[in-house]
Amino acid sequence: MTYQIETTGETFVGVDVGSQTAKSVVLRDGEIIGHALVPTGPKPEESGAEVLSRAIASPSLNREDVAFVVATGYGRVAAPWADTTVTEITCHATGAHFINPRTRTVIDIGGQDCKAIGLDEDGHILDFALNDKCAAGTGRFMELMSRLLGVPLEGLGALSLEADEQIAISSTCIVFAESEVISLLARGEKPQNIIAAVHHAIARRIAGLLHRVGLQQDFLFSGGGAKNIGLVAALQEVLGAEFVWVPDRDPQLLGALGAAVLASRASAKSKAEARAALAGAAR
Amino acid sequence: MTLPTLQRIADAVAARPAELAALREEGTLVAGYFCCNIPEELVLAAGLVPVRLGRGGDDGLVEVGGRYISHQNCPFVRQNVGAFATEAATPGEASDPWVANTDVVLAAATCPQMFRLAEVIEHFFHRRVEILGVPRNFTSDNGHAYFRAEMADLATRLAKITGNAITSERLGETVALLAGIRTSIKALYRAQAQRPDVLSWRQTFETVRAGFYLDRWRYAALLEDLLAEAEAAVATPASADDDGRVRLFVSGTVIAPGDTKIVDLIEGLGARVVGDDLCTGLRPFLRLEVAEPSIDAVADAYLDRVQCAALPHLSLEDDRRLANIEESYGATGAEGVLYHSLRYCDPFAFKANETKRFLGKGVPFLEIHTEYASSDTEGIRTRINAFIEMIEAARTDKEIQQVA
Repeated sequence: MTYQIETTGETFVGVDVGSQTAKSVVLRDGEIIGHALVPTGPKPEESGAEVLSRAIASPSLNREDVAFVVATGYGRVAAPWADTTVTEITCHATGAHFINPRTRTVIDIGGQDCKAIGLDEDGHILDFALNDKCAAGTGRFMELMSRLLGVPLEGLGALSLEADEQIAISSTCIVFAESEVISLLARGEKPQNIIAAVHHAIARRIAGLLHRVGLQQDFLFSGGGAKNIGLVAALQEVLGAEFVWVPDRDPQLLGALGAAVLASRASAKSKAEARAALAGAAR
Repeated sequence: MTLPTLQRIADAVAARPAELAALREEGTLVAGYFCCNIPEELVLAAGLVPVRLGRGGDDGLVEVGGRYISHQNCPFVRQNVGAFATEAATPGEASDPWVANTDVVLAAATCPQMFRLAEVIEHFFHRRVEILGVPRNFTSDNGHAYFRAEMADLATRLAKITGNAITSERLGETVALLAGIRTSIKALYRAQAQRPDVLSWRQTFETVRAGFYLDRWRYAALLEDLLAEAEAAVATPASADDDGRVRLFVSGTVIAPGDTKIVDLIEGLGARVVGDDLCTGLRPFLRLEVAEPSIDAVADAYLDRVQCAALPHLSLEDDRRLANIEESYGATGAEGVLYHSLRYCDPFAFKANETKRFLGKGVPFLEIHTEYASSDTEGIRTRINAFIEMIEAARTDKEIQQVA
């Protein structure tokens, strides 16, 4: 059972307040008409409000033009500006199904966690797994690497593709990896080889997470981590599987997009629930 | 609506520490025990007052316990070492009144960590400790012979402590008493799954724990009263406002008194628990029938019931623990399994994946690996919330298809 996007001309917004970045997507008749990204500040409630107003302003709309707002991400617990909240796991699944209905597996690398989600043909979640209490392979981890190596975050992927030697990094623990990388630098290893090794260590760890859910094509990679071409290459190599790319979709916006899609379904769903409740009362 | 006897039980538990203290003044000995493989039939027949020890959910005590036992022991074991340490340092002021009122500690070596707990208590806090050996090969004849010998040895030691021989007449009484308690608990569990608006799982779970502490004859009588109230209320029509909550079955590592983390999250997110196979819940009451009032029969009955994951069992086909989860899941009308494991509780953590595979793809399964510290609470909330959303989404579609 797949919900159809109703072309009512109404505007729906999803807001994904992550640990590092707040994202928002504006949707109308199944088309993205606006979006915004802002770094999450110390007050997630304010970051959410800011990204929401920026996203709405991007197609020159006002808050009154928006029919429904769904908040997701860890900041959803402080989102008085939203009509309802949904977990980021459901939002990522919904977003992935929306942009490509053949998606069966999603890997998301966010600021403070990684998740693997298995979907069915209707976009329903079959199973999911999150990394446990650990910054391994997350955006925060990559930021630390960027600082240690003196390379901007955006440059890590390209740099790692210049690696000319395989070196081993055993730890993806943010604390131990820091000391391991510092010793490698002290030993004179090249930054490109170190970062390539870091990407492979993360990829192996994600492969473990994915093992709990199972890998089925189509396979989608989302989150800020999906913008790192070196990590993408390492993951594809370790998993022996190609990601399916959807052109013109920012992988970091997938959760917010899913939230916007769920906002658009909120009215359709409540109608269906009313019908089900009526049928239940008749029994 | 709350069944009146629930309040009577709560009051009785609140009054029990003072009652135990008074009994001890008169010379009665209290046997505080760890693990449900300790046979209360023998403890009672020897004239000891059994109290099941073990609390959870207090990270401060976990830290204290960590000074005496490895940090790679589970938080449950560490916390209870911490409770004994606190009691030794400041007698009578311990947060755990059951530890304070324990004269002799009994521990079943089902889990090696529990054995270590007993050793640490004896070594550092000079408590009298008696161990009941539990065989790894619990399904074999050798295992049974070993456990019968261990049980007979424990009986001798208990009789020595009190000076009362365990007679078959006395054992007959305690076997019948505990059989009655087991029958009542199983009936209460059926009632809560059928009508959670009358009796919730949480109330039932609390009622089981009251049985860790109360005088067992008094407890048996209270259970009969509670069951009569529950069965009368079940016969009345259901109130509509309790329909529709997602029904979860909780499995895995011990959830000890004081540890409300997971259950609070489940209920706070609008779902409800309708069944469990926890060793502090229904599991110890299942498939346990002592055939005759003899020590051998007690040993066989305890070994042949649904056992803890700490006992290794390689064959999935005849694993009673797995078969019981599958059966209870179906019988309670649950819509998903929340499998809880504590950090360093290797048996349950390891068997999570095995349990998931055994139950198959048709059973939504969420594994939560946690400890008593609150640092992961928000992460766990998100997982449980997503799990509930997943079950609700599948359910809404079923309803829409039925209506259409």
